[in-house]
Amino acid sequence: MKKAVFQGILIVTLFFGTWYLLAQIKWVTIFNIQKKTENTEQKLGEIFWDVFKKTGKENTNKNVKNTIDSIVNHICETNGINIAKIKIHVLEKNDINAFALPNGHLIVFTGLISQSANQEELAGVICHELAHIELNHVMKKLIQEIGFTVVGSITSGSEGATIIKEATKLLSSSAYDRKLEKEADIKAVDLMVEANINPKPFADFLYKMSDKETIKQFTWISTHPDSKERANYILSYCKNKNNQYQQVVTTEGWSKMQQELKKSE
Amino acid sequence: MIQSNNFRYSPGEHEAETASSSYLMSLIAIIVGAPLPILNLLATIIFYLSNRKSTYFVRWHCTQALLSQLSMLIINSFGFWWTVSIVFTAETISNEYIAYMISAIAFNIVEFIATLYTAVQTRKGKHIEWWFYGGLTNILCKESR
Repeated sequence: MKKAVFQGILIVTLFFGTWYLLAQIKWVTIFNIQKKTENTEQKLGEIFWDVFKKTGKENTNKNVKNTIDSIVNHICETNGINIAKIKIHVLEKNDINAFALPNGHLIVFTGLISQSANQEELAGVICHELAHIELNHVMKKLIQEIGFTVVGSITSGSEGATIIKEATKLLSSSAYDRKLEKEADIKAVDLMVEANINPKPFADFLYKMSDKETIKQFTWISTHPDSKERANYILSYCKNKNNQYQQVVTTEGWSKMQQELKKSE
Repeated sequence: MIQSNNFRYSPGEHEAETASSSYLMSLIAIIVGAPLPILNLLATIIFYLSNRKSTYFVRWHCTQALLSQLSMLIINSFGFWWTVSIVFTAETISNEYIAYMISAIAFNIVEFIATLYTAVQTRKGKHIEWWFYGGLTNILCKESR
């Protein structure tokens, strides 16, 4: 009996030992998996952005562009995020929405900008979407919802327009799962604190938007569950972050941009 | 790893053929390309159950074949579900996954060769005891009086 137990332990050790030793080799690099994943993501980003471009006009107002660029650049620089991989697009749409697409495409609707009471609220939503990009949630969500094979076939061009349309709708109008949303919220607070942007207005924004009477207009909120709960954990998480907060754009610059947005509406 | 021992008695032609078939059962499932890891085990279980009242030599080899399939089932099931999670969920291909699959394939190949060798030798009436599985079978499978 003892002999069999000893031999059994030895076989298990042999298997786990082989696995452990083999795991020390960088197979992902050897098989170029990272590069292949990046290429897939790049293609998907282009395909989805092409679809969105057709749904609304891209806002080219200099003030809007400069303000959003300043906020995003500041967040990226202070957090060591490679700005070159973030592609910001402001679309002229009244929906209060922002979302991330594969390959760092960040779509912000003018409706969200004009409904943000201050730059911190907007920065909060942007940080939340940047967190989804940084944590690779976009690809995870796509694979989770439509499957690895379908994602692959979209990039190879063998999938029809209907699938692409459905996948596009999925990315812009439905939330990530609860765990990923919380991860993105917490990461967003970290990004904001690191960028010296006060995260409390982001929580206020969630409280404000959780008002049931207005929820239908607020796509970003209605697709993200339990706004009050989120606001609460954001507030408790940023409680002990003792920081000297500052504004990224001047109050005048922010007001001017808002005025120009209202004029164009 | 594999030892050819003398059995308590010299098995007859029919016994050697049935005992050899118990190993072939698991190989057939691989040869037909069954993708689910459970099928190999099912084949050996069915064969084991249908021969559980057979002679000691047959029962002994059916038990050894079944035990070896059980451990392969654990390894293969884990690899199978890990692959499924990569294809259908947000799980990604990692160094650990590739290393696991290589280890699992290597163990499967070793097991395949050992099974094939044992099937051939058992058919000749030789008694083959595997390392660990042979000892375990000796504990579990007793000669009926």
